[in-house]
Amino acid sequence: MSPFGAAIAARILDEAEWRPEPVSGARLLVRALEREGVRHVFGYPGGAIMPVYDALPGSSLQHILVRHEQGAALAADAYGRVTGEPGVCLATSGPGATNLVTGIANAFMDSVPMVAITGQVASPLMGTDAFQEVDIFGITLPIVKHSFVVRRSADIPAVVAEAFALARGGRPGPVLIDLPKDMGVMVAGPAEPAARVELAPPVDGQALAQANALIAAARRPVLYVGGGVAIARAERSLRGFAERNGLPTVATLKGLGAIPTDHPLFLGMLGMHGSHAANIAVDECDLLICVGARFDDRATGKLDSFAPNARVIHLDRDPAEIGKLRRACVGVAGDIGAALDRLSARPDAVAWRERCGRNMRSTAPRYDAPGNGVYAPALLRDLSKAAGDRAIFTCDVGQHQMWVAQHCRFSRPQAHLTSAGLGTMGYGVPAGIGALLADPDATVITVTGDGSIMMNIQELATVRRYRLPLKILLLDNSQLGMVRQWQELFFAENFSEVDLSDNPDFAEVARAFGIEAFTIDHRDEVSGAIERLLRTEGPILCHVRIDSRENVWPLVPPNSSNVQMLERTW
Amino acid sequence: MSARVGIEFVPIEGALVRLLGLIERRGFEVRGVRMAERPCGRSATLSVDVSPRDPGRRLDVLEQQLRRLHGVQDITMPTAKAPA
Repeated sequence: MSPFGAAIAARILDEAEWRPEPVSGARLLVRALEREGVRHVFGYPGGAIMPVYDALPGSSLQHILVRHEQGAALAADAYGRVTGEPGVCLATSGPGATNLVTGIANAFMDSVPMVAITGQVASPLMGTDAFQEVDIFGITLPIVKHSFVVRRSADIPAVVAEAFALARGGRPGPVLIDLPKDMGVMVAGPAEPAARVELAPPVDGQALAQANALIAAARRPVLYVGGGVAIARAERSLRGFAERNGLPTVATLKGLGAIPTDHPLFLGMLGMHGSHAANIAVDECDLLICVGARFDDRATGKLDSFAPNARVIHLDRDPAEIGKLRRACVGVAGDIGAALDRLSARPDAVAWRERCGRNMRSTAPRYDAPGNGVYAPALLRDLSKAAGDRAIFTCDVGQHQMWVAQHCRFSRPQAHLTSAGLGTMGYGVPAGIGALLADPDATVITVTGDGSIMMNIQELATVRRYRLPLKILLLDNSQLGMVRQWQELFFAENFSEVDLSDNPDFAEVARAFGIEAFTIDHRDEVSGAIERLLRTEGPILCHVRIDSRENVWPLVPPNSSNVQMLERTW
Repeated sequence: MSARVGIEFVPIEGALVRLLGLIERRGFEVRGVRMAERPCGRSATLSVDVSPRDPGRRLDVLEQQLRRLHGVQDITMPTAKAPA
């Protein structure tokens, strides 16, 4: 018999002898996760999910025990952003499940692939207000791409396969699997999972021809880049398109790094805390080429006055985004990279490009702040430079988040993990955990604030437990800084509930968790602090006291056009 | 003025709540609902009379949002219906 024939015969024999071994639903779940290539699961055990925890030992999955389920969901979110594969989080029913909700919403708003698995009370108890029963399926309906309640143990492999396909396919997002306890316990022979792939719609050739015509006719084109580029892993196509055409480029918060932020064509982030050069370019452009962005209000300011003289070409993987907020002259739905590669027209925009470059140089940020205190933007610029291209910054939410976006350098979008859509305070540390597990060779730096770190400070225990070399930079202004800034500027300095001057000694807190820590408060300590932060092999926290009156500039006031930027006064 | 939206979908668990919830969250009032299960039992048809809560809400945007729900097979957006 030929080798080929032998192989066929062996396969026939295998199939004839193959009988699905009846096992518990929980074991089916674990096996299905293994089949999907899952390596890490972030979770916290409890009553209804105990069958799954019973099935975990002996599997190839590494479970990361967090100290709060929100930490699990946010770590899974970061893991998904870095790997491009669904991050997995696991929690029990009731409060375990509801504690995941913020993390699921975070993933939904930023289109992050995630599979969240929740225990549920046993099927006969569902709907009886049983102990730790909550309708997590109903609660999460608006914040998931899809969700499942497992009704038959045998369906588990198929449900998991479909959940992963949905989470990673098309425009990614979170998918929930709610697993009643009896489904995890019950023994069943598995039904075969159905393979399912969400295919991108073919790129419309006619629309591309129209787009090429608009590009050829443009004299003041601007490329407006969002997080969809990173999701599509289309950075190379984007850079090629920008460079072929010499297009001045602006990015949303999530789009940062799609083109290196020190690239000569890059004008900075646009929008509320965007750069002067970016906002002016968008205001003056005659063609706005939007790639993987969604005209979010933080980016557009007052929508009616956004890019008022521009025709719009909108490329997005999700057809529902095209024309949702701003009508596009040409909409191209589908594979972003493939579409960009087929845009071949060349605009005559030399003078415009030079003008944008001059504007960029003349309005570049200043770092010569008066005084001797630590100036956070300068610290972040220097830290980013010292950390290099292998660094991943995970941000919390507040002033420091905007300073990172404005002053750090990113050469790839996966180097900047930030809660853009939901703005989740408490994202930074769990995201650092997820990022380190996803990319252990990266230098992962969490930049947080004194408000944000307290939202998930318990995850320092997780950092310590797994000896993750997370570098935490805590910018402490003893205030809820962004809220204080808005109260100062837009609420007549009526400072209401923003004072955090009774913060604990954060360095002492970190040390109590077993994490090396130190504090600085003077400008001449910055370079030594950066060196120590980057040189230390294990986890470390650098606590930085900064001026509580420092604000984020520029700032576009709410309901204003992006050209109405408030600037710093020194 | 309301418009009648036709939705053909796979009647999996939660589908109806998901559809109606999306319509409301996207800024439309649900003024009437009719649903019939198709004879084959594999898909269902939902007819929803919707009315925008403010002038900024567009039916074409709603249609795209509905189309991206898992299990939605087709959407029909007939012409506007005069108020009763």
